[in-house]
Amino acid sequence: MIALTVLMTVSAVSVSAQTGKDRRKSFKSWDNYEITTEKVGVDGTKFVKVWGFGKTADQAVMNAKENAVHACIFRGLPGSATAMSTPPICPNPDVLAANEDYFQNFFAAGGPYLAYVNMTTDGVPSGTDKRKVKGGYKVGIYVQVMYDNLKRKLEADGIARKLSSGF
Amino acid sequence: MKKALAIAALLLAVQVLGWSQAKKPTIMVVPADAFCERNGYVQQVEAMGSVTSSPDYSRAMKDNADIRTLVSAMADFMAKNDFPIQSLEQELKRIQTESAEMAMMTGKTGSEFSETPLERLRRTAKADIILDLDYEIHRVGPRRQVSFNLQAIDAYSSKIISGNTGVSSDSNAPLTSLLEECVLSFKDNFLSGLQHYFDDLFANGREISITILRYDSCPFEFDEEVSIGGESVDFDEWIEEWFQDNTVSGRFTTATSSANMLRFNQVRIPLYAQNRKGRDVAIDADDYVKPLVKLIRKQLNVPVGATPRGLGDVWITVGDK
Repeated sequence: MIALTVLMTVSAVSVSAQTGKDRRKSFKSWDNYEITTEKVGVDGTKFVKVWGFGKTADQAVMNAKENAVHACIFRGLPGSATAMSTPPICPNPDVLAANEDYFQNFFAAGGPYLAYVNMTTDGVPSGTDKRKVKGGYKVGIYVQVMYDNLKRKLEADGIARKLSSGF
Repeated sequence: MKKALAIAALLLAVQVLGWSQAKKPTIMVVPADAFCERNGYVQQVEAMGSVTSSPDYSRAMKDNADIRTLVSAMADFMAKNDFPIQSLEQELKRIQTESAEMAMMTGKTGSEFSETPLERLRRTAKADIILDLDYEIHRVGPRRQVSFNLQAIDAYSSKIISGNTGVSSDSNAPLTSLLEECVLSFKDNFLSGLQHYFDDLFANGREISITILRYDSCPFEFDEEVSIGGESVDFDEWIEEWFQDNTVSGRFTTATSSANMLRFNQVRIPLYAQNRKGRDVAIDADDYVKPLVKLIRKQLNVPVGATPRGLGDVWITVGDK
């Protein structure tokens, strides 16, 4: 009976440790961010609200911009009441691994990704869009992603397939 | 000398690549039947004693400015993706002018063009992919909202490639702005559906339907045995064997098999084949059945004809042309 109790306690501790590790992993994962489509953007653009995390509010804003471009390339944008969802430019999950060097350079600090994202509000957000969390700040910003330009760039660089390729 | 050889090799490679390009599908926006019916763009057609109503596309394009706005917006983004849309309006005009010119034209010796009623009937606006467009304007209090439904249909197989439905925001903005908003909303999803279809096309071939019909002058019925190279074999089985050998991964379905008719659908045909000179060329449904027509004619010594019916449907007639 005692042995059984000890075994159950050990199992419970190990499950809880696993959960903590998983949580840390999911925080480190690039796929762990929130993004919503606000409305239909003007021709060739997407108007989204995206959240980012950083030690300072400025770093969190930069992270949010990276996330917005990342979502357009790999995740796609969710739909809303008045805007349809947007598919990712590279739906094939192997694209990132196959072009790791390209994307390392693309998303480097001050990298080419910045040319495809416009912030629609000036400065660091305030109120509910700026939250102090453990280890830094979480901020939500409204950005306009130049979706069509981004798509053309990836097609020209041979990362994404053109609609007309093969014809 | 080496340089000249290198240039010649490069030119040859470019030419070979050029030959092996698949035929680019033509795309056309067509107002949906439901839209034409709702807005009164219909015409009564009397055929074989019965009156049926059919959509009057020409009047819909002329009278409805909103359709033109939608077509322009769609043509713009398709052109940016190297897929210019074929204009239904211009195509209808071309057919009208063509008919008038054909009726007036005579040769130097006074001979006239010959055209059967069937050929005249089939000389209509055609595209590989039809974008079937429908929209409705709703009132939300003082504001307006547009609901839309766009289906991309593969004219070869009549299958829906991409379906997009949704609503615009409710607003007091001009209707043109709401319609443009709709197009921008479904644009990327629509292109993604199209890309998926093209990927499937390159991987598994084009999908068509083939019907083999028997004229009463044909000396055998399709479920009877015929002699092929000295061996007796059922005609329908022999034809199925040909499809097994000549479709992509042997993919086809026998939809009907009777004494007078064989119908095969979901026939996956390759995008390229070799022509008489051994060159790789892009083929369509009509080109695909030519070897089969020749084979039946040669092996069974009967007249065989092939009539393309629409873009992805061919009728092969045995016993007469």
